[in-house]
Amino acid sequence: MSNIYRLALALLCVASAVTIASAQDAPPRAHVKIGFVDVENDPRYDPIRAYERIVLKTRAHPFAGAEVGLDEAAALTRVLPADFSLERITAKSAVDVAPAVLVALDAGTHFFLIDAPADAFTPLAAAIRGRDVLLFNVSEPDDAQRRALCAREFIHVYPSRAQLMDGLVQYAVSRKWRDLLVFAGPSTTDAAMTAAFTHSAQKFGARIVAEAHFKSGTDPREREQNDPALLSAGRDFDAAFVADDAFDFARTVPYRLARPRPVIGSIDLESVAWHWTWERNGAPQVNSRFDRKSGGRHMEGPDWAAWVAVKMIVQSALRIGSADFAKQRGFILGPGTFDGDKGLAMSVRAWDHQLRQAILLAAPFEVVADAPIEGFLHQTNELDTLGDDAPESACHLDK
Amino acid sequence: MRVFAVAFLVALACAPARANDTGLIFVSNEKTNNLIVIDPKTYKVVDDIKVPRRPRDMHFSADHTRLYVACGDDDVIAVLDVATRKVIGKLKTGPSPEAFAIDEKRRRLYVSDEEGSSLAVVDMERDSIVREVPTGAEPEGVLVSEDGKIVYVTSEAGDLVHAIDADSGKVVRDVVVGLRPRRFAATPDGKDLWVTAELSGEVDIVNRARFVVTGSIAFLPPGMRKADVTPVGLTMTADGKTAYVTLGHAAHVAVVDVPTRKVLGYILVGKRSWGITLSRDEKTLYVANGLGDDITVIDTKSRKAKISVPVGRVPYGVVVDE
Repeated sequence: MSNIYRLALALLCVASAVTIASAQDAPPRAHVKIGFVDVENDPRYDPIRAYERIVLKTRAHPFAGAEVGLDEAAALTRVLPADFSLERITAKSAVDVAPAVLVALDAGTHFFLIDAPADAFTPLAAAIRGRDVLLFNVSEPDDAQRRALCAREFIHVYPSRAQLMDGLVQYAVSRKWRDLLVFAGPSTTDAAMTAAFTHSAQKFGARIVAEAHFKSGTDPREREQNDPALLSAGRDFDAAFVADDAFDFARTVPYRLARPRPVIGSIDLESVAWHWTWERNGAPQVNSRFDRKSGGRHMEGPDWAAWVAVKMIVQSALRIGSADFAKQRGFILGPGTFDGDKGLAMSVRAWDHQLRQAILLAAPFEVVADAPIEGFLHQTNELDTLGDDAPESACHLDK
Repeated sequence: MRVFAVAFLVALACAPARANDTGLIFVSNEKTNNLIVIDPKTYKVVDDIKVPRRPRDMHFSADHTRLYVACGDDDVIAVLDVATRKVIGKLKTGPSPEAFAIDEKRRRLYVSDEEGSSLAVVDMERDSIVREVPTGAEPEGVLVSEDGKIVYVTSEAGDLVHAIDADSGKVVRDVVVGLRPRRFAATPDGKDLWVTAELSGEVDIVNRARFVVTGSIAFLPPGMRKADVTPVGLTMTADGKTAYVTLGHAAHVAVVDVPTRKVLGYILVGKRSWGITLSRDEKTLYVANGLGDDITVIDTKSRKAKISVPVGRVPYGVVVDE
């Protein structure tokens, strides 16, 4: 326990004892509103379909994750200094996110969960700059928001691509898969994923033997670009990495390579913030609470991030014994440590407001490993072996 | 069905009144749905008892004729006849019972239902839940006060310890402790509760009269990382002088001097040590290593592990029939 935390705890303990003793003449309770902002027709949540219009992956906004967090707060009512509620705000498009947040902010909401695509962030950051607001990014991994945008009103609860890819490469290196073949897709997301992966490989001493640019399809004239066997022929490698957000090509890669090698990235071994089969650190209970809340859906990374964001807001009030926004913000960005059911205690990085967290390496039915992988050491916190550490960060909110 | 019921009654009538002091060691295995019984002299496995799914916390009745086992995936507490080592009954609980405490006088079980976020109060005679007390999310450790009036329960996800009035079933006090509180030990003088806070890597000490945290003890075995220090199980000697705390992923047991709250030393055990039990003569400590699939037997005088015994998949708890 840090001293500040210890002091806060001691004060809170006294405060809660007093509260219970004098419950009858207590002043009216504070109320903390949390906005959940998503975007209509966000393409990130379009179902992924097979050629025959069969749905391969249904994807859903993580509102149910936030609701699970709110339910947990309800159980803490007696010891919390405030009541909490969630308001879902759905913007018509990415450009409508900033005005929608401003309206709610002016009406007194200071905490927002932002479930919006990358292009919503820059106008949003400009609109709220300097205001008393914390925006919790719960679904966008784009590194640019942590680097170029670098806005102090944001907290990135969802892991950055850099964190996700570092975790994946740590695992590959720990298995001695040092020679990696990269299949790079055509979209900007694929390019960002490939760039992050390449950077991680350099960081941890793996080698990219080739970067093959695929083109999804069945056209025989383009078979050099759409056939995983041809794309992987003529060279040896330890594992093949696929960056394919559209998923159409990725699903054709396993079992079709020129050599029998594992596939990582967009399929088979995926690097994720959360997985429904994680069974350590109390995860089964969270997964089953989410399952009930969402009507039978598996909890995914954004759901987890939305749950954690609400938890961070509630925890800050619990630990400091106050619903004063400035104090809550001070705790969350400062001494606050949080339990996200991934083992190591999480906290917010001072330099870019990214949440430090473990990354799960998940096969379809098993979490194969959790990063940081044993042996990857750091001088202060092993979680900082994942993503942009202070010295290499392009963002310095702490300075 | 009727034949079965009659057989059950006959079995009850014929059971010996006392079966204690066999010294046998019982280990519950979460993933193989069995209890392993180990001979205390040879450390050989002498029995493998099939029980309902996911057995976890275990407690003997005061006379040691019965062993109660919380079985998380079948929502029951199995009742074993210790002499015959057979399951002779099941008490229904709420969803996913994990830990529990027995109040023999009132013939009640207090069961933390991990999935239901409640403490179930089970009437042992009527085999029914007489009350469900809502708790913070993921309740775990349960402890009944010496006079049976207060039940303490931790909420893992709520970072709370609740004090519940046993008669009214109402939460009367709450105290916020470290991250992910798991289990309890009460000092024999009745003054303090020791609570393991798994993610804070410490034991928090709660003054029972004032119900506030008055101190905490941090752990760090030599060569281990702070992040791996995840205390869960703990036990105390009868004189209230020494406490033993399992440190989870740090694979050690901490030995603590209770009056000064100083760590006296660390004993190496297996992977993810949770369950811990002291023998009656306090010469031997048994530790269940959840991810090592074995238990470690420790000599408390030399503070060294004597032997480790393979037991099955994901051992949760250890108890000794003595």
